[in-house]
Amino acid sequence: MKDNIVIVGGGIAGMEAARQLLLLGYKPILVEKSDHLGGHVADWHCLFPDMTPAQDVVKGLVEQIKDANIFLETEVSFINRMKMGYNVMFSNGVNVICKAILLATGFDLFEASRKEEYGYGIYDQVMTNRDLERWFNTGDDKRITGKDIKKIGFVHCVGSRDVKAGNQQCSKVCCITAIKQAMEMKERFPDAEVYCFYMDLRLFGKKYEDFYIKAQMESGVHFIRGRVSEVSENMQGQVIIKTEDTLSGKPAKITLDLLVLMAGIVCNKQAVQTASMVQVQTDSDGFLKSKDNILNIIETGSKGVFLAGTATGAKTIPETAAEARAAALAIHNYLVAQS
Amino acid sequence: MMDFGFSISPSSTMNLDKVDLTLYDRLCSIEPDARKCMACGSCSATCTAGPWTGMSVRKVLLDIQRGKDKEAAAMLKGCMLCGKCTMVCPRGINTRHLILSLCRIYGEDAK
Amino acid sequence: MIDRFASGFDPFVIPFLIGMAFVLVYCIIGAIRLILQLDAEDKKRFFISLITPKTIWKNLKDLFLNCLIHVKLWKRNRMLGFMHSSIAFGWFMLILLGHIECFIYMPHRVKLFYYPIFFNYFVAENETTIGGSVIFFLMDFFLLLVLTGIVLAIIKRVRSRIFGMRRTTKPSLLDRVGLYSLWLIFPLRLIAESFTAHISGGSFLTIPMNMMFKAFLGDQMNMLPTWWAYSICLCIFMCVLPFTRYMHIPAEMLLIPFRNAGLTIKHARRGFAKAQVYSCPNCGVCIDACPMSVKKANIKDTTVYLNRNIRRGNEKRIEEISDKCLLCGKCTAVCQVGVDGPQMRIAQRSIRNYGLEQDYSGIDITPFKEAVAAEASPDRVLYFAGCMTALTPAISRAMESVFRKAGVDYAFMDKDGGLCCGRPILMAGRFGQARQIIRKNKEIIKASGASTLVLSCPICYKVFREHYKLEGIRVVHHTEYMLELVKAGRLSPDAGSDVLVYHDPCELGRGSGIYEQPRELLRHTGELVEAEQNRDMSICCGGSLGSLTLGFDKREDLTRNALRNLKAGNPETIVTACPLCKTTFAMYSDIPVEDIAETVNKHLK
Repeated sequence: MKDNIVIVGGGIAGMEAARQLLLLGYKPILVEKSDHLGGHVADWHCLFPDMTPAQDVVKGLVEQIKDANIFLETEVSFINRMKMGYNVMFSNGVNVICKAILLATGFDLFEASRKEEYGYGIYDQVMTNRDLERWFNTGDDKRITGKDIKKIGFVHCVGSRDVKAGNQQCSKVCCITAIKQAMEMKERFPDAEVYCFYMDLRLFGKKYEDFYIKAQMESGVHFIRGRVSEVSENMQGQVIIKTEDTLSGKPAKITLDLLVLMAGIVCNKQAVQTASMVQVQTDSDGFLKSKDNILNIIETGSKGVFLAGTATGAKTIPETAAEARAAALAIHNYLVAQS
Repeated sequence: MMDFGFSISPSSTMNLDKVDLTLYDRLCSIEPDARKCMACGSCSATCTAGPWTGMSVRKVLLDIQRGKDKEAAAMLKGCMLCGKCTMVCPRGINTRHLILSLCRIYGEDAK
Repeated sequence: MIDRFASGFDPFVIPFLIGMAFVLVYCIIGAIRLILQLDAEDKKRFFISLITPKTIWKNLKDLFLNCLIHVKLWKRNRMLGFMHSSIAFGWFMLILLGHIECFIYMPHRVKLFYYPIFFNYFVAENETTIGGSVIFFLMDFFLLLVLTGIVLAIIKRVRSRIFGMRRTTKPSLLDRVGLYSLWLIFPLRLIAESFTAHISGGSFLTIPMNMMFKAFLGDQMNMLPTWWAYSICLCIFMCVLPFTRYMHIPAEMLLIPFRNAGLTIKHARRGFAKAQVYSCPNCGVCIDACPMSVKKANIKDTTVYLNRNIRRGNEKRIEEISDKCLLCGKCTAVCQVGVDGPQMRIAQRSIRNYGLEQDYSGIDITPFKEAVAAEASPDRVLYFAGCMTALTPAISRAMESVFRKAGVDYAFMDKDGGLCCGRPILMAGRFGQARQIIRKNKEIIKASGASTLVLSCPICYKVFREHYKLEGIRVVHHTEYMLELVKAGRLSPDAGSDVLVYHDPCELGRGSGIYEQPRELLRHTGELVEAEQNRDMSICCGGSLGSLTLGFDKREDLTRNALRNLKAGNPETIVTACPLCKTTFAMYSDIPVEDIAETVNKHLK
């Protein structure tokens, strides 16, 4: 089959869609702006709920899409609408005429430094969920390496459910990620006390509740219902956080050796630009707008333009993969109907 | 049904059937955003006055939703109106105006 | 000059006399009432100022420059300045010269109130008065000046944009009556004087007109009706004046001595406040200046509408307008008569009834005071970061670092929290409560024994400076303090190549008059560019605590507009000197926003 399909984004959604399209006999063109495939998952260490190594997931997918045309460190420069499809110009100078475009542009991790009151980039002992995963992978981070860590805090909802941060939506995966990371830290620092500061615990997915119970029973993680409002630092370089223990109705203070901010999932700014080239708007939640949000989440108002993964909102990996497969099938059906 | 003239409802139980929501409803008509509160506690955590006077915006809101107007009034008296709670509220509630409005509504009640 | 009529009277002067008597009685009673409404202290101050040579001179100067020449308006808008001063000054000169004329030629008639006004009707020129041509010339000249002003005023009414005004107020029905009668007064005077010019004498304007009238109309009978019309127009104008925007003319004559006496607004609706309300000319300059005006829905919440609604007694609107305002003070900065928008609003907030009053008497600051006193030292600098800075730790950290690098012995008073400075509750009009907080903070500060108090928050700074009266303790904002350290050689920031723009926070700039110190400081660290509107024209960030009712979602447009203004010179970084401005801008800015303490600290070794 000759029909060209351009997939923008080489994360889980893009790779899984490419894999399916290859199986369906197409040879999709996949462009990825960074120098490697796998998106944010490639930076992660282990995945909930079975602690699957993230690398296995990414590698498995990369292995299976070898036959696709993959351009790394490449971005979409512009897209022109043509009579029968689209003319896509890439930043590497390649020009492609295609019939279908899949926007698998993913998300941006919220820049934690924008919540100045949490002190990321200001205090030494504050890190993000991504920094922690990197430490799990590399074992190298001056905030942890060689430090005597006795108390660790996890702040949920950093840049999520927060109009002041410009994102009112729940990022879905932070609660379970925080619990996962809390347990992993407890494993590495058995003597440490680990605290999770949450507004609501939203553990909706398969086996997530089991995870929660395990964190309570086996790891002894302390769950405190209250959003952290301020962080300061003492002379010893420890951070002191202020929150309200809303269940006992008292303002609370706690001194920690390490504070981990669960940076949320926000819309990929660059994706909005790319999407606007094919007249795909953003929805009221700030993410890309689907044709409808019930049965047509992978289709858009523009003919031949499809969406998959976190471009339309926060999702887990299985949800993303399922959407990517659905998108591949939708593209196939679209192309068949076209010819 | 037989009526024994008393019910087994100890005083520690809040009877939500009989909660007087006049104050809360009046507040919501002035500052509808009061309904947005998700009780995250940011306001109380950051409150300048809280450690001195026991003020807690979250508790004030909860109290008037449960008809505990007196408890709320006691806390409101300690507010310094510094506006920090408005700054941190993740739902963008104008807590400062909410507090001022409440202080005025208490006056209306007295009339 | 000789009398044309032995009686020196004609019935047409009656309307003028009625109008004049009415307006004089009204204004004098009004002025007395306003003066009586002042409290004892202000009254004393006012009367003393009236006999103090310095303030007498200042009053005269201000009355001349503001009421007649409109100097402030000239600086802002030359067209409007010319229009106003040509009418005001021209008219004033006509009245003055009319009296001089009367005094020279008809001294026995001076006591007749109307005589100088209708001089040309009552006199006939004779050989002895040819020398009066200079005065005749001046009379015609000033009449022409006024007429030019009137023409401009008519053009402005039709097309205000030509005068650079985007938005203006709609005149009320009575305003229109006043306006049209004002417009008519001078053309009628010209025609009336032209009709009599061959008898009373005239100059370059009235003589040719007189000849023209003779050629076309030829009927002397038109003379009296035009003098009647002129008199009636004067009467109408003066009779409606107290109920129109033109009340600002007499009101400003009282406002200026009030202000020069150093009065402040003590009551929302009486005395000084009332003088401000009546002095508002309804010009609407504050509409374009108001940062809230970027949203059409807020236009009617500007100061001009506050004044209008106070005059009309519309309590519901007064409350809405008073509560919405950001108290940024830009309306005051542009106001020609100096109506203090923020103070007016705070005063309106202060007369509100609250069923529940805040009370801080239960707060025990003894442990705090003791802790501070235990480490008291006279050389120590006390740093008070304030509530907001707890949410912007980068500022307090940078400040501490600057102190250390300059070798300053400092104590961070509210590191673990403190009391609010009192300014926010003051802004809400709760004066008694603010006083309670101020008293407590003052005790703590006094206990520290420090001689200098440094504040990084302009909101705190303003209240500490104006309301704390900390005898023996110097209150400085960190912009001033850091500049002092640089000048004393205790800090030497290395010059960078960053292109910076400085945002003047409302409370620091317009509120406290600090514009140059931060700029001078920033020039040590990078290249400084200016925003399109800066210094006293700076646009509020939109985050102000001043507004009680403006919700979070209603502020975004204001912030974006202020950011647009700041980015006019393509800066790389926005620097401000207020934690609230920083937080507000950081939410929507696509370039970095930092506090001046951070900027300076970055450039220190």
